[in-house]
Formats: sequence, C-alpha cells, structure tokens
Amino acid sequence: MDEADLELRRRTYAFFVERGRAPVPAELGDPEDVVAGWRRLHQEHALVLNGATAELRMLNPFSVVPTAYRVQAKGRWWYGNCAWDAFGICAALHTDGRVETSCPDCGESLTVEIHDGNVDDESLLFHCLVPAARWWDDIVFT
Amino acid sequence: MNLFRSEEHIARWLGRREPGATISAGKLSDLAHAWWDDRISPDWLPHTREQNQAILDRLGLSGEFWILP
Repeated sequence: MDEADLELRRRTYAFFVERGRAPVPAELGDPEDVVAGWRRLHQEHALVLNGATAELRMLNPFSVVPTAYRVQAKGRWWYGNCAWDAFGICAALHTDGRVETSCPDCGESLTVEIHDGNVDDESLLFHCLVPAARWWDDIVFT
Repeated sequence: MNLFRSEEHIARWLGRREPGATISAGKLSDLAHAWWDDRISPDWLPHTREQNQAILDRLGLSGEFWILP
C-alpha cells in the first residue's frame, strides 16, 4: 500500500465520518483514479467495495449500507457490519455509544450501552461462526 | 458475527451447523477496542498479521479457530 493509496483511504474515511455517508468518486478527485485506488485498497482489505460495482460497501468497522447493527455515537446513527464492528464503531470514534440489534434466533431486540469501553449487559453473547483463517474468503458473509 | 440473548439461542440458531466460537459481550468490547481503536486515525497503517494475532492472543482468544491466515 503506497502513500497515495493511504492518503486516499484517509480522505475516504474522513469524508464518511464527517458527513455520515460515503463519498462518490468525484467527491474525492478524478473518478477513474479514485475508483482505481479503491480497488487496490479493496485488494489489501483496507476497505470493501460492492462486488458488482465500484461503490463502497464497508469502511470497516462502518457499514456504508444499512444493517441489523445500528450504533448511536457522537450524535449520529451508524451501521456496523456485524456485532464486532458495531462495538468497533465506538472504539474507532473514541466515544461511548449504544448498539441496537436483535437476537438472530428469536428476534428480541437487544440494546447494549458502551461506556468507557465497558458494556452494561454482560449476559449477552457474541458468536463467530467462521474461523479466523476464512474471515476474508467472503467478508460480507463473515 | 452476531449478538445473542444466550447459549440456548445460539444453539437453536445454529441448528445442525458446526458451532464457531462464543465470547461474552464484555470480551467483545475489549476485542473491538483493541482491533479498531486506530482505524480512523490520520496515522493509521495496515496492521500486520502478527499485530492482529497478538491482539487475539492477548485477549486469550487462542486455539485453531482464532489463527489468522
């Protein structure tokens, strides 16, 4: 990953965090150059593009599209790609927050408050189905 | 990578599938903070495999399931 791609990644994340939405390529520079850079960053697992288009899908831990993991932090609602990422949004923003989702088994709503990195409901459990060696085989499924 | 009400709910959701790994919400928060803390820092650099594996090891997430490629 060269300095130009690191800079593109920095500007992409900064845009997303400042505005609460993903940029389109033209908002960051020459569209062709931006998309080419995003594709390289996708290959390096530094962000995730939609498989069928050049649109951003994940700026991990943030999801660019709505998911079952909603996070309230720094006065805004965000989406996490999964439970790990939802907690990670508070970590990345260096702030407290609230994660809202539902149990995949029964559909009951689950809410977790995160304060100084601590959770208010230790009874909830996180289950990771895919072994670490295969997380990036299909990151959307993972 | 989901959050569940209890072990019973995980088992019912899995059905006949092989279970993965289960940790508490508190441990998940520790993991998330160690893993994602620097993600939007202007000084961010990609973590190496060794750095990420060290995070898992430090939190006691060991064994074949948690070995990164």
